[in-house]
Amino acid sequence: MTARVLPANLGQLERELAYYRRECNDLGARLLRLQEEQSQAFREARRSRTVAKLIREAYRLADADSTPEGIGMPMLEMIVENTLCDGAALLSLDPALGPGYFRATHAIGPLGAESMPPVCIPSPPSFFFTTSRTLIEPPAYELTGILRLPYVLWAFDRSSGHAVIIGNQSESNVSRPFESGDQELIEGALSVYIDVLLRKRAEVELRAAKAAAERASNARSRFLATLTHELRTPLNAIIGYSEMMAPASPYQLTLANRQEYAEQILGAGRHLLALIDGILDYSSIESALPSLNPEWLPAERILAEVASMAAGAGHRRGVEVEILPTEPQLELFVDPLRFRQVLHNLLGNAVKFSRDGATVRIGAERSGDTVVLTVRDTGIGMRAEDIPRALEPFQQIDSTLARSFGGAGLGLPIAMGLAEAHGATLAVDSVPDQGTTVTVSLPRERVRFAGAG
Amino acid sequence: MIAVGYAKHSDPVVAVRRCIAAMGSGTPQMLIAFCGGKLEPQAVLAELRRAYGATPVFGGSAAGAIGRDGFGYGGFELGLIAFMTPSTTPTALVTRNLLPDERIAGQMLGTEVRRIAADNAVVLMLFDSVASTAPLRLHHASSIVEGFHAGFGTGAVCLLGGGLLTDMNLTGGWVFDGEGVVKHAAVALVFPPEITAETVIMHGCRPVSTFMEITRIEGADVYELDGRPALTVIERMLGLPLGGSRGQELSLVATLGQKQGDPFAPYDENAYVNRLILRAEPDTGAVTLFEPDFARGTQVQIMSRDNSLMLESVRRGVAAMNATIAGGEPLLGLYIDCAGRGSARSGAPIEEAELVVKGLGRAVPLLGFYSGVEIAPFAGGQSRPLDWTGVLTVLRRRRQ
Repeated sequence: MTARVLPANLGQLERELAYYRRECNDLGARLLRLQEEQSQAFREARRSRTVAKLIREAYRLADADSTPEGIGMPMLEMIVENTLCDGAALLSLDPALGPGYFRATHAIGPLGAESMPPVCIPSPPSFFFTTSRTLIEPPAYELTGILRLPYVLWAFDRSSGHAVIIGNQSESNVSRPFESGDQELIEGALSVYIDVLLRKRAEVELRAAKAAAERASNARSRFLATLTHELRTPLNAIIGYSEMMAPASPYQLTLANRQEYAEQILGAGRHLLALIDGILDYSSIESALPSLNPEWLPAERILAEVASMAAGAGHRRGVEVEILPTEPQLELFVDPLRFRQVLHNLLGNAVKFSRDGATVRIGAERSGDTVVLTVRDTGIGMRAEDIPRALEPFQQIDSTLARSFGGAGLGLPIAMGLAEAHGATLAVDSVPDQGTTVTVSLPRERVRFAGAG
Repeated sequence: MIAVGYAKHSDPVVAVRRCIAAMGSGTPQMLIAFCGGKLEPQAVLAELRRAYGATPVFGGSAAGAIGRDGFGYGGFELGLIAFMTPSTTPTALVTRNLLPDERIAGQMLGTEVRRIAADNAVVLMLFDSVASTAPLRLHHASSIVEGFHAGFGTGAVCLLGGGLLTDMNLTGGWVFDGEGVVKHAAVALVFPPEITAETVIMHGCRPVSTFMEITRIEGADVYELDGRPALTVIERMLGLPLGGSRGQELSLVATLGQKQGDPFAPYDENAYVNRLILRAEPDTGAVTLFEPDFARGTQVQIMSRDNSLMLESVRRGVAAMNATIAGGEPLLGLYIDCAGRGSARSGAPIEEAELVVKGLGRAVPLLGFYSGVEIAPFAGGQSRPLDWTGVLTVLRRRRQ
């Protein structure tokens, strides 16, 4: 038996069905919206956790054995992974390129940092983002050009000159376009990066200072040992010969003996004086750079004077000092005494470490707006790895060799200290058994050409 | 033996080396690589060749990768599967002709697979999902799979697979085809007869509307539902307009689902084939689906993604898989996971991939990737492309 549906009941059923359909769809719509709101809340919470994650990871990086430059890439990876952007870069202002010029230091995305040309942003904003409604005009034009992505989020820290940018190809990347609420995220990421970078740099500087202090301490210890030896040798000669010449001496000395011993004592005394002069010179540089009294002097004259002083020492061993042709109008703004000492020390070393009969050359030539003075020998030279030590005070590259040539190893450090006091840079180029070339580059403000206005 | 490796690093060389270190010694017969979209594929390939010489590499880009040691979808992930012995190594067949006609390319691939595959052979199909970006067009898995079945014929086959993406934004995709890096290609990896697969499909959508009939459709563009513009119907459901860029966000919110079997049977997540919405077209009132396999007259429901349901489904699915493979000797666990299920996109409070990683028996070497579409045997029938699913497969030796 089948139930018959009366037309009146059919109408009722249709109304009921329509009611339930409507209610079903309304409830479904409400459920859909609730679900989406909840999802969006979770997505935003996930996004906001980015900075917290960065902080945690950044301190791990800071504690790790990485360089300041080495933390950029892992930081950028974290930013990319958490924002799920298509590209990102860390940039820094580069004053060498001009005002407003940024250079990418690290990048992820279509272009690597090395492929990114410097970008000029005359008035870089501290925070910026683009959407499909953003007009392509400064700074949007410049910022979207960095990653070559149309939708970007940017933060710039004026005090440190660092910036970060992330970018997307599609506006609704993963869940939504960039918006003003992202300021906290991008500025937070940049702050974490800068904090860790500065901390890392301070750490590196601290380590370098510690290493330098340890080197200095070691050098002083070595110096004391060397100094003791250097002082003892002439003192022993003075005391020994003096005892032999004393009235109560058991030695029966001839007049010739006495003359010879007196000369030995005089020589040892002079050597001691030279040593002490060197130590005093260096001490005066280290404690306070000497106050210079510069004046304009012809370069030719300076070279001639120092060459003449060195020629005497060279003459005994047949070492010739040659002055290379110098522009007669060239004048240097230097302290006459101290700058001569620079060249005298360099030339003295060159003569000392040259083989008998060799030629040592000294010259001064223009290099752009500056002048480079050169002292070149063809002597024993030194290994490249020994050059930094030779420039440090109290260092003996090869104590046996150095002793055989005499001196306390202060000539080069003194020359460098005095050159730097003139704003010059001193560089050493050397090859074992081929010789050494030392250059002193004077800055443009200490150089002029007489008659050139 | 099958070894797996997972690593995450912005330097592809480092990523490859870490994967290789995780896999241990030995030279594989074949590699499958799932490569995050921010890793340079040629650099990955070069490093693999440096390590393994001429070992062929298949696979391609992935929106992310999943391993025992981690997972992610930032673009720096690399997952490797190394087939170390001939008895587990699949035979690879490739078509590079998806661009002119996906169905024909799929058919040719199906025909070739038929020639070498045993009955009930396991076949893993991988292809690049994005055909073009401006305008955005996908390589439709439904066309490829339909062509594959047409070419394969009536024999039984366990077809699994996934669409390869470079990221969650459908920016691109590419394929390792055994020789190099290519686009518009599909790879079919046909496993030896002694390999069998256990598969569970994990869902996460719930119907939130009554049944509606598609009254106008062209390809993947659904113009009308119950005689009204499809976009208007969905906008009313959402309570917000979806014009302009917001149309892109639609794929995050709703899908269209087709219920299989008795339409009035109680809700069963396994009964639904879901189609994600690729974009909205305010000018025409249409919504474009990921696949063009719905037709005029198809009864559909608007489906809401439900994160709780998704997580429950994963827990259930993993438990079922553990029960199925208990006592056996699993060779490989492969998880093909819709990229939209990642919490960055779904908004799920926890990552569902993590539930798989932690839940699946530790004896199973596991590797997964985030995909654009998933392919798996559906409702006891032929394989179909699926959206918003996680397909978990465990390969085992077939019992004699």
